[in-house]
Amino acid sequence: MKRFRRDSLLWVGAGYLVLLALVALFAPTLRYGYLNQAAMPLLHASGAHWMGTDELGRDVFERIAYGARISLEVGLSVQAISLFFGVLVGSLGEFAPKWIGMPLMRLTDGMFAFPDILLAILLIGVIGMGKTPVIVALSITAWPSVARLVKTQIASLRDREFVVASRAMGASVFAVVTKHILPQLWGILLAVSMVDLAGTILAESTLSFLGVGVQAPEPSWGSMIDHARAELQSEPMQIVWPCLVLSLTIFALNFVGEGLRAAVDPKSG
Amino acid sequence: MRLAKALFLRLLFGLLSLLFISFVTFVANEAAPGDAALVLAGEKASPETIARIRHNLGLDQPWPARYVRYVGHAARGDFGTSYYGIKEPVSDILARNLPMTIRLATSAILLASIIGILLGTLAGLYHNRFADRSVLIFSTLGVTLPNFVLGPLFVYIFSLQLNRLPQTWSYDRPLPDWMYLIMPVALLAMRPTALLTRLTRASMIDTLQQEFIRTATAKGVPRGRLVFRHALRNAILPSITAIGTSCGYLLTGSFVVERFFILPGIGRETIEAIQQGNLPVIQACVFVTGAMFIGINLLVDLILPMLDPRIRESQV
Repeated sequence: MKRFRRDSLLWVGAGYLVLLALVALFAPTLRYGYLNQAAMPLLHASGAHWMGTDELGRDVFERIAYGARISLEVGLSVQAISLFFGVLVGSLGEFAPKWIGMPLMRLTDGMFAFPDILLAILLIGVIGMGKTPVIVALSITAWPSVARLVKTQIASLRDREFVVASRAMGASVFAVVTKHILPQLWGILLAVSMVDLAGTILAESTLSFLGVGVQAPEPSWGSMIDHARAELQSEPMQIVWPCLVLSLTIFALNFVGEGLRAAVDPKSG
Repeated sequence: MRLAKALFLRLLFGLLSLLFISFVTFVANEAAPGDAALVLAGEKASPETIARIRHNLGLDQPWPARYVRYVGHAARGDFGTSYYGIKEPVSDILARNLPMTIRLATSAILLASIIGILLGTLAGLYHNRFADRSVLIFSTLGVTLPNFVLGPLFVYIFSLQLNRLPQTWSYDRPLPDWMYLIMPVALLAMRPTALLTRLTRASMIDTLQQEFIRTATAKGVPRGRLVFRHALRNAILPSITAIGTSCGYLLTGSFVVERFFILPGIGRETIEAIQQGNLPVIQACVFVTGAMFIGINLLVDLILPMLDPRIRESQV
């Protein structure tokens, strides 16, 4: 029963995410674009404007669609970068000579001394605001947890027969890692990345809400929420749409990530 | 003796983390574009003035010397002067904004501890029943929903619809302070409450299945005493560790809450400093926030062995 409920949440979540990805992909082909006035300001939802229009007469659905594009762009870039460096540092920490591995793992530990958002904010303070700085800042805060996960996973695999055997047959460390160890890890890394992606999208929205992330006129869900606060009294729906889409996205990613994790790592379920 | 060694190592680790943070904030400032002497001297300054300011700030020395100087000054609470506005000392800005952030964070963590542990105990006692299910749904929402989504909802209900609470902080406040702070604190406490609820619930369920509880029940210990004296005392320890870690979230969550309710705290000051490019203020705010995070976690780790003899015994 519990299994079934988790699976159905997984599929509902996955369906939502596919839909979101399609909307993000085709956002540039929509009619008005995120910048142009589409109709009268502050129209209510209708067949022509599915989520109504904002205070400048821009189509809210199209801005949400572009926001999805930005969220996914930032989120996926950050996950790709932190996965790359996390796997690199994690494997080096386990297989490289001690004088390389040790300092790298100490650095990884040190990164945990900082609360994530705080470090991201400091980095943005130095390199400036905008979409690319957000990607850089969030990647730098995201890789240590991947590195730690990879290291513990490798540590549990490195003494297994198939690894020892291929080492004994003269395979290089690089070959062992890429051919034998990483293929074992993809499942769990994918599952963890899904949950981390939720965290990254949330962090991007938080930074944009605070006004130091993605800058106007590019629409981020976070900055849309920030702008809509001014009209909370008269136009509450303006804030409901971005809040709703952001919350659904985070729920969906968590459901899918946890469902996948239970599938690849039955012990954790 | 082993305990003393463990405590010493923990203190050392705290100190190292502090040094790490000071180094990161120092490097951040070094790497940033712009020249402090030029900014502070103003546009019309002569080369001699700029050179003098540069010398006074120690900018003409190599970076290790500058780092030592930075740490020395920071230890005495001196973070230089703000680039903009009336160019006041950064320590004045900190002194003006810290009380609000500390007030918010301590109220939120107290609220979260009380409600989280109560709800978690309740859910653990009624495992798989209605109370447990509702608490679980509440805590899942609390962990997942960002506070800038819950914030508008709170304001809409309590300020705009019911007209009970003021929407934002203001300098001339006609109402008592707590009425302005109740929504920000509740919002800030949401996530830690949810986390503590989940933890206490899990550890309560676990504890209630252990043999000493069965023995106590068989001996006829009254239900209330059994729950609070026997079970909760054992179940509460993971939650105390979690109080420390959720403080990291609190300090950063206050960025959102302070901006949302226009509260004069460190979080709002940091964001304003970033938007102005006011490096000394950014550096100082991040350093102080990070240092508080390290300090609280250190405190929790030092208190824990006092509460739990098992930790006292088992420490390396």
